[in-house]
Amino acid sequence: MSEAVVRAAGAGVTIAYAILIAWLAASQPQSLAEVTGGLAATVGVYEADAVNFEAGLQLFRQEQFEAARTAWSRADPAGRDARTQFYVAYSYYRQGWGRLSHDDALYAAGLEALDRAVAAAPGGRVVVSDPGLQMQTADELRAELRGGITREWSDLNPARVLRSRK
Amino acid sequence: MTPAREAFALPLTLLTVVLAGGIRLTTPVAIEPPTLFSLVLASVLTAVFVQSGVVDPTRLLRADRSALANLNGLLAMLALFLANAQVISRLTPDTGLPALGVSLLFFVTLLQLGAASLERARCLRVWAVTLLTAFVVKFVVLAALAGPADRPIARALQVLVDGLTFGSLTQPAERPAAGYLAFAMLGTYLLGLVILPPVQRRALAIETGGGRQEIGGRR
Repeated sequence: MSEAVVRAAGAGVTIAYAILIAWLAASQPQSLAEVTGGLAATVGVYEADAVNFEAGLQLFRQEQFEAARTAWSRADPAGRDARTQFYVAYSYYRQGWGRLSHDDALYAAGLEALDRAVAAAPGGRVVVSDPGLQMQTADELRAELRGGITREWSDLNPARVLRSRK
Repeated sequence: MTPAREAFALPLTLLTVVLAGGIRLTTPVAIEPPTLFSLVLASVLTAVFVQSGVVDPTRLLRADRSALANLNGLLAMLALFLANAQVISRLTPDTGLPALGVSLLFFVTLLQLGAASLERARCLRVWAVTLLTAFVVKFVVLAALAGPADRPIARALQVLVDGLTFGSLTQPAERPAAGYLAFAMLGTYLLGLVILPPVQRRALAIETGGGRQEIGGRR
C-alpha cells in the first residue's frame, strides 16, 4: 500500500473518530441502542420497527399505556422516531389525565418524550394523522401537558370537572 | 516515524484518551469535554513537551513534507493537545478544596518543568509521577471519602471528615469502575506520549586514527 493511501486513510479515520467523540459529547447517549440509533438517524437510515409500533398502538387504544410504552420502546429503542415519541407523549398525557387533578410526573415525562419527537422531526414539526386522537400536532399536545403542570387560578374553577380527556 | 504510526497509531491513541477521559460513570452516564482551565494548562504542557523534546513538531509539520503528511501531523498535534487537556481535566477533582489543590499541583509542576527545561526522559518521568499523584488523590483518597461506607465506624469517620472540612472534600460519587477506566486512560496516554516523535539531535562525529567515534545523539 502506498504511503499516500495510508496517510489519506489515517486522516479520514482520525477525523471520523473525532467527529464521533464530539457527537457522543453533544448527544449524551445512555445505551448502546441510543448510540447506534443516533448514528443511524444522523445518516438518515433510522426507522422504528413497524411490528412493535403497531403492537404498541393496539395497547394504547385499549388504554394499556404502560404496556404500550414497553412495545414502543422496542420499536424505537433510540428514541429517534418522531411519530413513536409523539404517541409515547400522548400515552403519558392520557395516563396522567384526571378529572380533578393531573399526575405531574407523568405529564413531565410526556413533555420529555415530546421534546424527543420534536428533535427527531424534520423542521421540528410533528403532525400525526390519527382520527382517534383529538390533538394531532406536537404543539397542541405540548400546550395541554404544560397547562396540566402549571398552577393557575383557573384550576379552582369547578367547571373544569366537566372537561373531557382528549 | 512510519506513516502508519503517524497517521493511525498516534492520533487514534490520543483520541481514545480524549474519549475515555470524558466518560463520567455517574447516573446517568455523561461524556464531558475538558474544562476551560485544563485547556489553558494543556497549552502550557504542549509547549513544555516541545521545549523538552518530548515531541518535535517539525517532524510532524514541515514545509518540505507533502500536504497529506502535514495534515496527519496537524491531526496528531491537535489530538495531543486535546489528550493533554482531557487527562488534566479527568484527574482534577470535581469540586471544592481538592479541585483547587490538584489544579495548583498541575500548575506549579508545569511551571517547574518549563523553568527546569528537562530533557525528554526526565520530563516524561516527572509528568507521569504528577499524574499518578493526582490519580491517587482523586480515585483512591477522595473516592474512599465519597464512596458508600459499609461499617458504622467508616460512616462515622466520613461524617467527621465532612463536618471538619465543612463538606469541602466531598466529591460527587462515581461507580467503582470509574477508577479502572481512568487508570486505563492514563496508561494509554503515557503510551501515546512515548510514541510521539522526539527531537533528534545529530551526533557529533570525531574522526580519529582508530576510526569514527560518535558523541551524543538522539535525546
